[in-house]
Amino acid sequence: MNLNENYLDADVPERKLKPSKSGNFEGIPIVAPTSEPTTSVNLDKTFFTKAPLAVSISDDRSMSRSTSINSLNTAYLSSRRSPLRAMKLQAKNDLMSTELTNSSGNISQLPSVQKKYADPYLDSENDIRSRLAESIYSMETSVRGSEIQRRPYVSNEIPNVFKFSKPNNVKVPNEQETYDKNFLIFTSAGKPIYCMHGKDEKIMSYTGLVNTVVSYFQVNGPSELKTISTFASDKRFTFLDKSPILLMAQSERGESSNELLNQLDFLYSYILSSLSERQLVRLFSKRENFDLRNYLETTDFENLDEICSLICDRMFPSLLLNSLQCLPFRHSSRLKLQSLILQQLEKRQDIPRGTLLYGLIIAPQNKLCCVLRPKGHTLHTTDLHLLFCLISHQFQNLDETQELWVPICFPKFNSSGFLYCYIKFLPNDSNSNEKSALVLISAQKDAFFSLKSFSDELIVKLESERILKKINASKGFKLSDIPAPMVHHFIYKSKQNVQYVMPHFEINSNIAMDSSQGLEYELKLKTYYQQLHGTVVRDNGNLLSRSILNFVKWSSQDNKDMAIDETRMQFSELDEYIIGNSSFEQESVNMLGMAWVTPKFELYLIGNNGVVDKKVLFKSARKVANWCQKNESRLFISEGAVF
Amino acid sequence: MLQFKLVLLGDSSVGKSSIVHRFVKDTFDELRESTIGAAFLSQSITIHPNDGNGAKDVVIKFEIWDTAGQERYKSLAPMYYRNANAALVVYDITQEDSLQKARNWVDELKNKVGDDDLVIYLLGNKVDLCQDMPGSETIPELNEGEDDEQKVRAISTEEAKQYAQEQGLLFREVSAKTGDGIKEIFQEIGEKLYDSKKDEILSKQNRQINGGNNGQVDIHLQRPSTNDPTSCCS
Repeated sequence: MNLNENYLDADVPERKLKPSKSGNFEGIPIVAPTSEPTTSVNLDKTFFTKAPLAVSISDDRSMSRSTSINSLNTAYLSSRRSPLRAMKLQAKNDLMSTELTNSSGNISQLPSVQKKYADPYLDSENDIRSRLAESIYSMETSVRGSEIQRRPYVSNEIPNVFKFSKPNNVKVPNEQETYDKNFLIFTSAGKPIYCMHGKDEKIMSYTGLVNTVVSYFQVNGPSELKTISTFASDKRFTFLDKSPILLMAQSERGESSNELLNQLDFLYSYILSSLSERQLVRLFSKRENFDLRNYLETTDFENLDEICSLICDRMFPSLLLNSLQCLPFRHSSRLKLQSLILQQLEKRQDIPRGTLLYGLIIAPQNKLCCVLRPKGHTLHTTDLHLLFCLISHQFQNLDETQELWVPICFPKFNSSGFLYCYIKFLPNDSNSNEKSALVLISAQKDAFFSLKSFSDELIVKLESERILKKINASKGFKLSDIPAPMVHHFIYKSKQNVQYVMPHFEINSNIAMDSSQGLEYELKLKTYYQQLHGTVVRDNGNLLSRSILNFVKWSSQDNKDMAIDETRMQFSELDEYIIGNSSFEQESVNMLGMAWVTPKFELYLIGNNGVVDKKVLFKSARKVANWCQKNESRLFISEGAVF
Repeated sequence: MLQFKLVLLGDSSVGKSSIVHRFVKDTFDELRESTIGAAFLSQSITIHPNDGNGAKDVVIKFEIWDTAGQERYKSLAPMYYRNANAALVVYDITQEDSLQKARNWVDELKNKVGDDDLVIYLLGNKVDLCQDMPGSETIPELNEGEDDEQKVRAISTEEAKQYAQEQGLLFREVSAKTGDGIKEIFQEIGEKLYDSKKDEILSKQNRQINGGNNGQVDIHLQRPSTNDPTSCCS
């Protein structure tokens, strides 16, 4: 894909860029578009944070020097973002959201926290014991302002260095609230179809503007408009023109255009999966101003909501890495499972070829457990992600007494036709709510009963051979299973298999994963990974080179050394508190992450807070990589059951 | 054991899935998601035929297609009703146009399924939303909170009843939420189907009894079916 970013920028006094009541667009200064991408004018420093570094492993010395530049900038980027639009209210939100463990969330105590210069913690910082502790444990984030309550956590809390206006799942009654990320979908004629946040009245005013911008570029430039970036506020507006549908992403989270385009393409793929391209074109060929919203159903909007929240708020590396998450499963059991399925297929010669195209067993949390596929054919990851989203969201309330017959268009397989999915949840004795699903995919709409009998016999087989029990018992792995110290979390992607694995999240056990704190953790982790990934890919999404080793450092200390110190003084006390070194005032942030790309695998790894030694982290990373390679047959599906 | 195929049809969100779940599991889910495609379930009932043939209980197994009401899945519908023995056509008594959709379904069934034995049952769902029905006291506690706007009945019992009589349909108003009338529908359908197929069943049974087999017989009542996994025509 050829990306063409057109940067619009102007010298607008920063103070003007406050969020306004009438909508998010006010902050963008739109001037005459530069006909070619400019790299010389008005480039804000944050631009360079995206400048990735490709460093070979052997060149250790130069690596450390260059990466530190990179990391400085990254840290700068992440904490610099908010000042320009810092409303007091928003600032308070920031505080509350970053204050992970402070249950009271009492705003009134904010002023008392301002005593940063007389900080008892700073004095104790030289204490060897505390520094030692720091390298192993990270601090509870709520210690701010209170006595030094160093409750050593077992290294499982990482600080949040990213400024989000607020977690998106928190509903704020204030309608004027602006979002740091939004998705909008309209028809090319300007009718709204879907928006992630915001009401119709607000969106309506967008449509005209967006259409004007898009058609301006269609008329005037040979280049397709993809992204408008405002450096001043670090906002990005990315467009995907899939006439008759137009999609737009708005983000302040520092994602690359390509990443946003991928996200938009995923949303578009969902719409296709529900309608198919043929139907979409037909609907709009009759009337260009067709109102698609009336044609889509409640379920579609629910699913779009779900997908948007997956993209924006959840740890969902599948899309970023364009690969599937796989269920770790004993190799011999996986072979057994595959051979059982193939035997069953062999036995049912009466099912004509083409009736059963693909078979999948999907474990809870969208982990692929088994694939049955014809030789030479695989399903595209996007198609599978769509199917997984449907299963985990739409059908989660179903139980094993029901069987479903669902027409789905798999846009990357064939965007103009439907396939039919037989979906049945597999029985699970261990009364957990999480059930695996068996999916059989056919091209024939009346194949239900053939597939049903196939499935009935297969499930009996799986139960009698105790394979089902093993599937249900498979629990994935924990970080502690791997002898790799100082690692907080990692994602390992096997390139050949287009699959990735990651350990369970390990956060404070009294935080439920779907509580707001759990969600915040996911968002935080997601952002770390997103920035790590951003250092190894080009603007078009391709990897920089075949082998890359990048370290990225997020640090609160570095902030102080930066030149922004002066500008920072201009802000009010409250602002400064947020911007300065924000919530980690008492917690020194020294996060080190690394992205390691080889021809065989990609490893993204985040160290514990306080681990500053690249060698230590790299040693652990090697252990992680070795472990994953050693267990490759357990962690990944290599071929699947091929017929 | 007798096996009958049953299909639910009707506009979206009239409560088809809720009716099936009340019947199959005796549960009700306030926040049921819309059905995508169709769901296949089964449930058995026992009927007590009083036809001189000794009061022998008969077990009937219903295989139920719970279809999506959404317009876009309409082209799939024939596959579900083609071999059905009974069809439940559901409308929402608080939604004016849902009865019209139900009428369309009835017309389609009558045109496309050339079987006079097809039992069509017209069901008005959600009577619990209209507590002002004659005969039942208004009990506000039943509706606590979640339905802040008390829905108004949009389709009178008489109107639907009259239509059902004209078309020769069975008719009942039910509530999947309270379970009111749900069991009775399936009982009634079971009995009616048993009655209409009785002679066929008995003759088959007799043949087998004469053949010396006195035990339990499984009889599947199906017209020649493309659903048969052993035949591959479609």
